[in-house]
Amino acid sequence: MTNNLSNRSLWTWLLQRISGLFLAFFLVTHLNVHHLFHDITVDGIINFMEVSENLKSSIWWQVYYFLFVPLVVFHALNGLWEIIADYRTSSTFSGAVKVVFWIIGLGLIVVAAMTLRNLF
Amino acid sequence: MALSKKLVDTARDANLNKNIGNFSYWLHRITGIGLSIYLLMHIFVLSSALSGAESFNTRMGLVQSPFFAVMEIFLVAGVFLHMLNGLRITVSDFFGWSRAHKSIFWIIAVIFIALMVMTVILQLPKFDPGNYTMGGH
Repeated sequence: MTNNLSNRSLWTWLLQRISGLFLAFFLVTHLNVHHLFHDITVDGIINFMEVSENLKSSIWWQVYYFLFVPLVVFHALNGLWEIIADYRTSSTFSGAVKVVFWIIGLGLIVVAAMTLRNLF
Repeated sequence: MALSKKLVDTARDANLNKNIGNFSYWLHRITGIGLSIYLLMHIFVLSSALSGAESFNTRMGLVQSPFFAVMEIFLVAGVFLHMLNGLRITVSDFFGWSRAHKSIFWIIAVIFIALMVMTVILQLPKFDPGNYTMGGH
């Protein structure tokens, strides 16, 4: 008999929590800089020049996004996979979904990295 | 068959067990799925930078308006709910505070309301269409 526990490993659970803790820091910083504390009355609408200048203002933004993007992509796809595995799907199915998610995730990280390279 | 049965079971379970644990379980799941979809769209919109500054500005212009400023409040609400509830789950797991999970829920509810008041105040200038200019750049 298969159950959800056989599909979900300790790593799935642990890494979701660890990435989540890091994201609490990374996402709040990202939200503050680019969403909430972006003052439209001073800087106007978000545009290429402004984002580029912002990112180039410190080398740490490159380190920041190098860590942030893979973490958030992992957390999202691992979370979605946990939901699918939670519905007692067969290990063949959840295994196939895992492969598809890894391909999507790596693709997203590559696209995001190329985007950031254009902006830095 | 098993999947549809499980979905029906969870819906029935949510109806039968109207308690904080069940509510926050659904809240976490729904905000998680919503934020994942947003992440995909976010990367798609920003990837227009691959075609240059003009393309980036055009596509970013489409998602900056008073309407999207309101939508952004829902986005931020989803982020804060998922983040605070995630921290609640994590401290319950790691520190063995499961017995206090209901008290922690009310603590994060208060923090959430405070954060949302701050968010709405910060978003106010974005409700004025006249503020949508290119600014100093």
